[in-house]
Amino acid sequence: MSWRDVVALAARGVARRPGRAVLTVLAVALAAALFSALLTISRTAQVRVLDQLADGGPLAGIEVAAAEPDPTQVDRDDAEPGAPRELDDAAIAEIAGLSDVATVIPLVSTRVAVAVPGPAALDDGTTVTTERRYDRDDGPRGVLFETLVGADVRDADDLPISVLAGRLPLPGSYVEVAVTPTWLARFGLEGTDATRMLGLEIEVGAPRSFGETIRARWMRLEIVGVVAQEATSGALLAPIEAVRPARAWTLAGQPDDRLDVPSSPYSGAFVVARALDRVAAARNGIHDIGYSTSAPENLIASVQRYLRVVEIVLAGIGLIALAIATLGITNALLAAVRERRREIGVLKAIGARDRDVLRLFLVEAGVLGVIGGLLGTLLGLGLASVVGVVVNGYLRSQGLEGVRPELPLTIAVAGVVGAGLLALLAGGPPARRAARLPAREAVEA
Amino acid sequence: MEGVDEGVAISVRGLTHRYPSPDGMLAVLSDIDLDVPDGGYVAVTGPSGAGKSTLLSVLGGLEPLQEGVATIGDIDLAGLGGDELAAYRQATVGFVFQHFGLLEALTAAENVELAGTLAGMRPAARRRRAAELLAAVGLAHRASHRPLQLSGGERQRVAIARALANRPRLLLADEPTGNLDDASAATVIDLLEQLRAERGCTLLVVTHNRAIAARAPLCVALDQGRRAA
Repeated sequence: MSWRDVVALAARGVARRPGRAVLTVLAVALAAALFSALLTISRTAQVRVLDQLADGGPLAGIEVAAAEPDPTQVDRDDAEPGAPRELDDAAIAEIAGLSDVATVIPLVSTRVAVAVPGPAALDDGTTVTTERRYDRDDGPRGVLFETLVGADVRDADDLPISVLAGRLPLPGSYVEVAVTPTWLARFGLEGTDATRMLGLEIEVGAPRSFGETIRARWMRLEIVGVVAQEATSGALLAPIEAVRPARAWTLAGQPDDRLDVPSSPYSGAFVVARALDRVAAARNGIHDIGYSTSAPENLIASVQRYLRVVEIVLAGIGLIALAIATLGITNALLAAVRERRREIGVLKAIGARDRDVLRLFLVEAGVLGVIGGLLGTLLGLGLASVVGVVVNGYLRSQGLEGVRPELPLTIAVAGVVGAGLLALLAGGPPARRAARLPAREAVEA
Repeated sequence: MEGVDEGVAISVRGLTHRYPSPDGMLAVLSDIDLDVPDGGYVAVTGPSGAGKSTLLSVLGGLEPLQEGVATIGDIDLAGLGGDELAAYRQATVGFVFQHFGLLEALTAAENVELAGTLAGMRPAARRRRAAELLAAVGLAHRASHRPLQLSGGERQRVAIARALANRPRLLLADEPTGNLDDASAATVIDLLEQLRAERGCTLLVVTHNRAIAARAPLCVALDQGRRAA
């Protein structure tokens, strides 16, 4: 008997008691839904927590400071840097050449003056005024002094940057800038107000000292996004192509302590190790080159272990539910075997072998399990999405980035295949009982 | 009608069959000898408990041979078990039961196809075969009906069609008219005899009905597991 015929016969067998089949499938579906929903929520929470720990960047991210390493702090996640040391292209190339390093993203920063209209009219029709109009007592009126950070925004996925509102500036753009919550705070705004800041035009000036006088070369930038960036300190983030000329302009002037411009070509770098378990080796390599690093590797590893335990517990709960549901399959099939003894006998009388009967009942169990698993997995994803909507509502009310519940393919497949396999396991005893029925005894039942 | 099936000679010597009982092993057949010629037609009669159905079960391979010799054509049933008996049943035997034994979830045509399905016949071939057989038993118009939509006589005719699906050389009918009224019973027996004549298969019919038994050229009477005089 071909598999196609077995499946067709099994489907008929399932369909002959539709009520029982529906209830059995429903039980499996609910258990599979619980399994997939719990794991989806757990996995989403895991991603969110780790993302939070990595500040939106990769888990294997390492911040490199333009400073020497402090030998007493090398094993700490939040190591304090030692004495300043210039980080130049040669150092960047040396770091990039380390075998444990996947990518190196250099960061440039410079101090800039920012002229903001006061009060500033926002796109939503409201106006805001900076609470602190002066960055330093001796600064000119109406101008803020901020740090402008430049990064290659094409590598934004590898940077610890989370977009809270809007988007990142386009690569190579000289007219777009993103601001951080630090900037919002200047106007008495919070993370929940991030979208209000979008569209505001500001003038950013690169200062140059001419001795007594400081003059600035100005550029008009539009705020296109609000980001939480932890790559380096700074309230403004722009493409590196726009920051380099500004910094060069400032450095071309006379040395002036008032401008507070670091001499290092790069203010820092963000390094991504090839894997989380290679972060330590990468950090050691960078220390050996002579630069201070920090990375939340120990914290992430600890949290990952706890999250793994939570995931195992939740998966266990889901599996227990699935196991209970599959007992329903055993029960349904035992009833079917009792009811269909004569049918089994007739099948044997016309030539069915024991293993044909075994296959028939196992496939019936598998059909119930796979249908239940499929429905349940979809239902679980739906449940997780509903939970995600509720959670997102809360997170956004707190000015935090929302989550996007995703059902990993492995969990979806595990839900369906697992339900099918458990169903086969559950169907084993009744199927064996059916297969071993003596032909004559069965046919005379 | 496609092809003419052949019959098979039956030779039984010293057939003894026992079942376990609270008082030990109980012999339901004792030292049975039987010879049926190729294409023969035998009625097996006897009171309840005489061992008629057991004899059919052993000859049909529903139970393994315990003691004695039973040769069906060139097949020695001694030592056959499990898959070998299943293969024997599939290739050589057609069963007709008193209770019809139709699968309620399947239509008449699908019930007839079932033997072909188990034998691994291609779907088109077994559908064609089922249609031919249903036509042969006069039920072509009922092909898509399920057993519960058929009368008792019609169900038994479907069962006969199914029994013939694998072109059996030995047709075993256990009380085929036991659940039928006289008219339907006559129709079923007429049909069995006609099909046997057309296909040449050997036919063993277990019956309580003397009139039906009288129609067979050879009648074997059993009583308490032995051949009655």
